[in-house]
Amino acid sequence: MTVNVSERPRAVHGGERPVRSRDPGWRIVAEQECRDLWVSGRGPVLVFAFSVLLSVMTYLAGTNQVLNFLEQREAVNLTLQVAVAVGVLVTLVVSADAISGERERGTLESLLLTPVSRRAIVMGKLVAALSLWLATFLVSVPYVWVLGRGVSIVGPAILLGLLVGTLLAVALSALGLLISALSSSNKVSLAVCFFLLLALFAPTQLPGGGPKGWFGDMLVRLNPVGAALRYLTAVVVNGHDWTRDLSYLVSPLVTAVLAGGALVIAGSRIVRLHGGVSGE
Amino acid sequence: MLVLTGLLVAAIAPVGLAGSAAAAPSRLPGTVEVTLDQSQIETVVGQVLTVESRIVNSGQAPTDRLVAHVNVVSLNGVYVDLEDWSAEVTQAASPLAPGNSRTLSWKLHAVNAGSFDVYVVVLPAGSASAGATPLVVSPPVHVTVAGRRTLTAAGSLPVAIIMPTLLGLLAATGRYRLRRRG
Repeated sequence: MTVNVSERPRAVHGGERPVRSRDPGWRIVAEQECRDLWVSGRGPVLVFAFSVLLSVMTYLAGTNQVLNFLEQREAVNLTLQVAVAVGVLVTLVVSADAISGERERGTLESLLLTPVSRRAIVMGKLVAALSLWLATFLVSVPYVWVLGRGVSIVGPAILLGLLVGTLLAVALSALGLLISALSSSNKVSLAVCFFLLLALFAPTQLPGGGPKGWFGDMLVRLNPVGAALRYLTAVVVNGHDWTRDLSYLVSPLVTAVLAGGALVIAGSRIVRLHGGVSGE
Repeated sequence: MLVLTGLLVAAIAPVGLAGSAAAAPSRLPGTVEVTLDQSQIETVVGQVLTVESRIVNSGQAPTDRLVAHVNVVSLNGVYVDLEDWSAEVTQAASPLAPGNSRTLSWKLHAVNAGSFDVYVVVLPAGSASAGATPLVVSPPVHVTVAGRRTLTAAGSLPVAIIMPTLLGLLAATGRYRLRRRG
């Protein structure tokens, strides 16, 4: 985050009246983070790259004979899964850079000097990271619509994708922020987050959907990403009622609650000038 | 003459009896019947069909372990790759007591357009009966799959071009304004 010293400290230094004293701290941090991300940062470029990826996929689905074999529901599901997966990936990358990156760029110190609690700082950063997820999801809506028009699955698919993806994005962003705060360097934070994402996504790419039986099902259910994508497939492709496979959303929900809870509880302690888990 | 005929019959009879005993199928441990819940299905490419088979032991003795296998046969020469149609083409069934039945569900993905017959065959799988007893085949379900080309380049191309162009322009404009400001 680029700390605008002339803006934020003005609200607190020299006994001046805060510019927006009634705003909660997390909202001020979130606004500043969003400004950094969307006006002068990587947000628009990431969203542009995301749209290029979805365009290539959609065009191939419309022209390639092999992909064209897909039924509309499967094409919608494929696009939705890529939208959720890549959207969550970019959200995780932004989260992974949020604290360790500021630390390395030397801007964290200025941020810590502002009269905003450290917990509010991590909450603001979480909200800013989630704005990227929402933007990528909005971009994916026209693609889902063009692939699914004519069948009555576009509306439910978009709504489900938004809900399930938001749950995943909250879970992984919170994890990313925890990792970023505890990492000794930005490189370590990004590497750990990429590894985490690969470990969570790899089982979803196994041929035939991975191991079968109760053990395979348990592995899928334990993996928040695999379980969330399985839930989407069950509803969008197999036509199950949205309540039938809700148990698949337990692990994303538990991850979001645990990681989010850890962030709220430990937020004031883990945002420090020096990284690592051994203390200041 | 009568004596000769009698001798001939006496000589042949044991051989004939032995021959018919060898040709006759071994005694089935239970009599299995298999039926499907539908006889005709009309669908379009890409749809998932569910067919249920009911295996009944209508005999007096319990059956051995059984294996049920679903098959799809094209009636108009279309190549059928069974793995594309179903991820699970074989299911095991535990031994059935006399009068008992078991229902197995088969999920089939209609991946080719054309005319097909789907049937289920039940095989004995126990060590004693495997290979020794005849197969039991269900009546076929006739499946007519209509083709459908749902995704077209004409439909997807405008979105595939407009979205990145628009977002690229927005990103470039933002960068340009930022550079001009500072």
